[in-house]
Amino acid sequence: MKQKPDVQQGTLALMVLKTLEVLGPLHGYGIARRIEQISGDLLTVNQGTLYPVLLRLEQEGSIESDWGASENNRRARYYTLTRDGRRQLNAEVQDWNQTTEIIARFLSAKAEDLP
Amino acid sequence: MRAIKRLWTRTLNFARRTSGDRRLREEMEQHVALQTEENIRAGMNPTEARRQAILKLGPVEAVRESYHAEEGLPKIETVLQDCRYAVRVLLKSPVLSVVAVLTLALGIGANTAIFSFLDAVMLRSLPVRDPQRLVKLGVEDWGGITDSFACTELFSYPFYRQFQRDSQVFSDTAALLSMMNDVHGFVGDRKDSELIHVQTVSGTYFQTLGVGPQIGRVINESDDSTEGAHPVLVLSDAFWKHRLGGDPTVIDRKIKLGGTVFNIVGVAPPEFFGTRVGAAPDAWAPLSMLASIPPGWKGREENFSESLYILGRLRPGVTIEEATANTNILFPQILHSFPDAKLTQANVERLARTRVPLKSLARGISYLRDAYSEPLKVLMVIVALVLLIACANIANLLLARSTSRARELAVRQALGAARIRIIRQLLTESLVLAVAGGALGIAFVAFANRLLLHMISSGPETVPLDVTLNLRLLAFTFAVTVSTALLFGMLPAFRATRLELTSTLKSSRGNSSHGSRTPLAKVLVISQVALSLVLTVGAFLFLRTLNNLSRLDVGFDRQNVLRLDIDSASSGYDGDDPRFKALLREIEERVSSLPGVQAASFSSFTFAQGTWSSAIVVPGQQFNGKVNVMHNIIGNDYFKVMRIPLIAGRQFGPQDTATSQPVAIISEATARDLFPSGSPIGRTYSIGSPDGMEKPVEKQVIGIAKDAMRVVETRDYMDYLPYSQHGWGFGDFEVRYSGNFAAVAAQVQQAIHGIDRTLPISNVTTLEEEVASSYSNQAIIAQLSTFFGIVAVFLSSIGLYGIMSYLVSRRTGEIGIRMALGAERAEVGWQVMREVLIWIVVGIAVGLPVTLAGARLVTSMLYGLSGSDPLSLIAAVVVLALAGLAAGYLPARRASRVEPMVALRYE
Repeated sequence: MKQKPDVQQGTLALMVLKTLEVLGPLHGYGIARRIEQISGDLLTVNQGTLYPVLLRLEQEGSIESDWGASENNRRARYYTLTRDGRRQLNAEVQDWNQTTEIIARFLSAKAEDLP
Repeated sequence: MRAIKRLWTRTLNFARRTSGDRRLREEMEQHVALQTEENIRAGMNPTEARRQAILKLGPVEAVRESYHAEEGLPKIETVLQDCRYAVRVLLKSPVLSVVAVLTLALGIGANTAIFSFLDAVMLRSLPVRDPQRLVKLGVEDWGGITDSFACTELFSYPFYRQFQRDSQVFSDTAALLSMMNDVHGFVGDRKDSELIHVQTVSGTYFQTLGVGPQIGRVINESDDSTEGAHPVLVLSDAFWKHRLGGDPTVIDRKIKLGGTVFNIVGVAPPEFFGTRVGAAPDAWAPLSMLASIPPGWKGREENFSESLYILGRLRPGVTIEEATANTNILFPQILHSFPDAKLTQANVERLARTRVPLKSLARGISYLRDAYSEPLKVLMVIVALVLLIACANIANLLLARSTSRARELAVRQALGAARIRIIRQLLTESLVLAVAGGALGIAFVAFANRLLLHMISSGPETVPLDVTLNLRLLAFTFAVTVSTALLFGMLPAFRATRLELTSTLKSSRGNSSHGSRTPLAKVLVISQVALSLVLTVGAFLFLRTLNNLSRLDVGFDRQNVLRLDIDSASSGYDGDDPRFKALLREIEERVSSLPGVQAASFSSFTFAQGTWSSAIVVPGQQFNGKVNVMHNIIGNDYFKVMRIPLIAGRQFGPQDTATSQPVAIISEATARDLFPSGSPIGRTYSIGSPDGMEKPVEKQVIGIAKDAMRVVETRDYMDYLPYSQHGWGFGDFEVRYSGNFAAVAAQVQQAIHGIDRTLPISNVTTLEEEVASSYSNQAIIAQLSTFFGIVAVFLSSIGLYGIMSYLVSRRTGEIGIRMALGAERAEVGWQVMREVLIWIVVGIAVGLPVTLAGARLVTSMLYGLSGSDPLSLIAAVVVLALAGLAAGYLPARRASRVEPMVALRYE
């Protein structure tokens, strides 16, 4: 069942987890808004692609969801980070930082830096 | 861990068919509503706000699809979808599908059935410990008793004991009687006697084989110590389960065989059937009880009463060659050590030349192997050919269909279906076909196995042979099915998807390049015809063999003779007892006087029942120990019953008594070859060799009878002796009757039981059937090969019909044009027929050399004709040609009925 993770999907999942960590329980639209606000134009189009990612995270047990009432008293599905999800987030954040650090160092390396 | 959790949720979703579609829709609606509100707040008008919101959400269908893909198990879903679709497609052309499934079922079923027999009869090892280390002295598996000096197949009990003591190469040595004893016995207090097959074995038998008891104990060495003192029985699992209801307290129950009460001491394990394939005993008894089973059997302590097989388990590290060498050192030593050894010069010379061969007993002793391995191999080849034809047919059908579906597939490809997806779809269709065929085939196996068991069982009892479908064979069957499906599903699938879309879409019918489009189909049809020829010729050869056999001149009149067996030994009669002979005479007289009965007589043999033969000494002639005469001990009316004419002299009569001059009647061939000078009437000869253990018995010739056969195809030297002068524990009783068989049979049995109620009667049948059962082998092969020949011709016809109809339908346009240009209807039809004819001729030309080569292999199984019998060849060719023309007729007629205008407009 191992699948090659879609880069965008993987990034999206990380963003979703981080959003939920920072803002607490949130519905799909709220998550989309937040990601849009922070990422600029990454999710301005095709916000719908968020939902398969949410389902996937839920199936993996990183988040939970339940119906609740939104700010304007509509029925909305709220997503909450689970303990598993928090652990996953930490791990992935660490991974991510490491990767970016390596890439950054690599990209900034100049010829004269090499022995 | 997360992946597993996700897989589990997805599997659950898949199994429960839960769909989050509603939830997704609700969430997305909510999403759009919130975005719309946001947009309105930003100053858009409501319509625009909603439009923008929807745009921002993106393509809803794509999201739904990927959402769904995340949800369940999409791959399995598509497989199921494919299967459902495949079943629907197959049901749309039911005739084709049914033919395909039946074809496969037949091919696979027949193959599995025959193979399971081959396995049981020829390949499987005995279910004992380390069967590869078991060997047997002697290679020919004779059954019987002999007193001949230095026999290398059968051995006496004293020889076995001495051999066991002296032999260095075996860790264990065992002996068993070379025959199974069929005795009538009484279980417990039951009033009716039952036929029980008892195998007498040495005390070491079970230990040598490494077989332990299921319950109780097996026979051990102490059971075989004192003659007559150990009446114990070990039951077979089948006997215990079927006749004693699997009674767990069976130990110490009694079975009375003849006059002796036996004690049941144990039950053998279920898989153990002894050492002889296809002849499972009901019970085993120690050789110490030889004299009671059947009563009156003597000779356990006689040095030259040779009736045992000797088995051994090789010591670790000893090869069969070393064992043979050691055995052949011991063999002459032991024989020389017997004080009653008749060491004439001829015997000593013979012993010096004789070597005892050893053979592996890994697969057991089997007369079935000798008798049936050839027919089974032939059948295996036949059904393998049928399977090939079946596969070719299926390939052809699938090929034709997929070509006719080329347009559909092209449309689907044009609409964006991936090539692999279409191939998978077509593969699924063939797999569904194959699995359905395979499943039906397995059902068919059960039926076929019963049929085959019947084939190798000559009497009412079926041969105890374990031919149940085992997992290995099941796997083999399915491997055949699935690979057939894959192979022949793949070809059309690749062909179909390789099409150039535009040209296929442009016209529904192909252009004139149809010929080059179907080379594979043509090759398949031609090979079908060729293989069918092989099978049809085979069928005719075997049918003609059967016909020759059934019209065989056996030398006696087999019509209207009833025969039955009387088990006098089980009732405690001795063959030499005068009271017993009086009883026989009384039965003969009583039965002869019944209405509808012309004559009745006992005999030791009738037809194909074993023999008692020996050399004879004719005074004035050179003695030839190699020429054997078959003896038959008979009642006075035997010749009358059998209608064997007497050429000279007189029959036996009341004047031939135990005290009068011993007399004999000899056969015509015996008189001609062994009494060459002058009339043999009145001359004397002796039965038995001058070097034999028993003193030759002198007889005077009083008559010459016409030659009669005792075994198909052989005309042996024969003589007849009256039972009034020669003892024999009788079996066969023959009655010449007229009228209804069942009525006469009932009366005869009643009359016999009126004289002695306890005489067990068995095998009541007609002489005609007994003769027929001696070639039942050939009969079944003829029937089966005819059946498969018909199947082959039928399949080939379907193949021809299928491809021809397909070609005609593709050529409708062309035919229309030709008709519009003035071609005659008959001419168009003839052209189609001509094509069919060409294929048949090519098929026959290809098949003929194969047939002739194959026929040479079966020559030994034919009777009265050669493998290249021209009549069979011509008949097969005619049958094939007729079937092919019949198959071609319908498409040809369709072609000739094409209406030019309709055909052209259709384009």
